[in-house]
Amino acid sequence: MARTQLIGLALGFVASAAAAQVQDRAQSRMVLGGNEFLAAGAEEIRVGQYDEGIRLTTLGLMQAPTTAERAAALSNICAAYAAKGDPDKAIDYCTQSITIWEGNWRAYSNRSYAFYLKGLYKKAHEDLEIAASINPEARQIAKIRGMINERSLQPSVIMEDHR
Amino acid sequence: MTASRFVLVAAACLACVCAAAPAAARKSHAVPSLDPIGTWNCVVYGHPAFGDERLLLSVLADRSTKVARLLDGEISAWVPLTHWEIEDATLTFTDSRSGRDYHADLTRTTLGGSWRTPTLLGGWWCSPTDFVAAPTVEQAKPETLMPPLLPWLTATPVYPIKAIRDAKQGRAVSCFFVDSEGYVVQPEFVELSDEIFRTPILNALARSRYEAWPDERMLRPGCRSFIFRLDPLTGDASTAQ
Repeated sequence: MARTQLIGLALGFVASAAAAQVQDRAQSRMVLGGNEFLAAGAEEIRVGQYDEGIRLTTLGLMQAPTTAERAAALSNICAAYAAKGDPDKAIDYCTQSITIWEGNWRAYSNRSYAFYLKGLYKKAHEDLEIAASINPEARQIAKIRGMINERSLQPSVIMEDHR
Repeated sequence: MTASRFVLVAAACLACVCAAAPAAARKSHAVPSLDPIGTWNCVVYGHPAFGDERLLLSVLADRSTKVARLLDGEISAWVPLTHWEIEDATLTFTDSRSGRDYHADLTRTTLGGSWRTPTLLGGWWCSPTDFVAAPTVEQAKPETLMPPLLPWLTATPVYPIKAIRDAKQGRAVSCFFVDSEGYVVQPEFVELSDEIFRTPILNALARSRYEAWPDERMLRPGCRSFIFRLDPLTGDASTAQ
């Protein structure tokens, strides 16, 4: 079950990394260097090679010229640490990403998942609401919301017979 | 030319509307499929003070209705209610003593529906019986006519995982018959807040049993209400910080 969730989330990261990359590519065709590392890092994260993805993304981050690229890179590193099961580091990177770009819904979404891993469902829910307010259509958000609800809500059925 | 074309188009539209209107009106009028005339073995529920009541209801062709209650193991005298009326496949009558207005949807497979007073709302559900209403206190054996419906196994519905993920809560009331072997048969929903709860409830009813009774011909009416609730777990570490 946990593995299924992890794989599911990793697929969410692919969307995250790829989308950020496309956006950045569209803006940076004449920019040299760093984005190659970011693209390669995103791909490594997508295929589950989190350590290599973190290494490459960190290299790319040092050469990332735009705020959007840096925010996307930090968010991707956050996602990789969350997928590795290290929510504390993940939260740190996501927070850095949000600090430099408040409109980064992926960073809120990824941090929400990290809070979820730590059992901080209230904080996870709060971040998810912010992510949803920025991008209500994101499937990744609905998926994380469902996972939080599974863990944080206690179901019960009350029955009464009338006879 | 333009004006005459406009008139022609308008006339055509008017003709369409005229043709469609009776069809729409016919659609909105439900056709009764149940003949309410006869004697019915009913459960009436939802009153906070009276609790569940079992009664015999007689609906007569002369538009009169009367009711007898099962009290202390005896069938009470028959008491007249108001005349019944049917409109849009809904049977209505009133018990002036209790102030309850009864409504029954005659498109269902059996007699039953809701009752209401100015402040209360409940439901009722009946199975047909061949008992003939008598004007005086009946000496028939009430225990064979209305044997007590005793749960033997009450299965709880599974809370659907999708409903938990979507944080869906809900409410449902299902009414049914119980056969002489104690099996729930012909369940229907008189209230269902979300379709997601239908299958778990039907599965639970199919697993539930009541105590059996000897008369194989008799079906007893029963209803069960369900409330699906989600409560926040208190173990959230966020709140502890």
